[in-house]
Amino acid sequence: MNARTSTPPRNALVVVSDLEALTAFQTALASKGYVVTVARDLPTALLATTQHYFDLAIVSSRLGEGGDGWPLAGVLHLVFPRAFIAVLTPGEPDVVTFQSAINNGVSEIYDQAKGPSEVVSNILSHANEANGGATSVQ
Amino acid sequence: MPRKPSLLIVDDEVSVARTLQMVFEQEGYKVAAAHSCSEALHLLHNGGRYDAIITDLNMEQPDIGLDVARAAGGLSPRPVVVICTGYASSENSRTALELRVDYLATKPVDLKELVPALNRMLCHRRDLRAWK
Repeated sequence: MNARTSTPPRNALVVVSDLEALTAFQTALASKGYVVTVARDLPTALLATTQHYFDLAIVSSRLGEGGDGWPLAGVLHLVFPRAFIAVLTPGEPDVVTFQSAINNGVSEIYDQAKGPSEVVSNILSHANEANGGATSVQ
Repeated sequence: MPRKPSLLIVDDEVSVARTLQMVFEQEGYKVAAAHSCSEALHLLHNGGRYDAIITDLNMEQPDIGLDVARAAGGLSPRPVVVICTGYASSENSRTALELRVDYLATKPVDLKELVPALNRMLCHRRDLRAWK
């Protein structure tokens, strides 16, 4: 048996302004065994970072009136440096999108047009690939 | 007295490398410079260890700075890696994200952003190591 067998991350934060999408992400993650905290704006998300430890975060780059998701991703990277941080972006990512992702410590970006179930599956796949420490919970 | 953080600057434009070297030495860094990817890889493969690496992207070949980032990613402890380029594209910046490059700066480099960003990333890295 592999001594480094990974355990999937268990605590997830989802920050999406659209209620329907938020619920869908919550459901998809809960079905994978996560305890999910949700927020629709920056203040609620920041408050959650003071109350919980997160192994995984899914943040929309555009939170509407709720704020900009990129700096929130940067804060999450600083507070939870071992967390897998995914950002949902509209359309095909351009250079500026990739630059924002890199400079804010984002692990991966995903097209927000994809369904939450598909995004969650991709995130879990990426998170496990990145494991070797980055996202595991011992 | 805390040791100076070490920095490797990789840029085939000697004047750019020299300018960055002077700026970061002024900031208290111990700086080494390489003027090609192959020179940088030679340093890294022969025991050169740095807290941070700032590399250009296009040197002997387009996007070859990614090879420096790739080599740095295999080191333990992994240095903070910054890419500075005037030729960022969706393709090379995606690869940089996949390689977990820490910072992507576009040329002309804004030193008022780059210097504090590197200082912050190094402090963060130092704190993480101190916790272990």
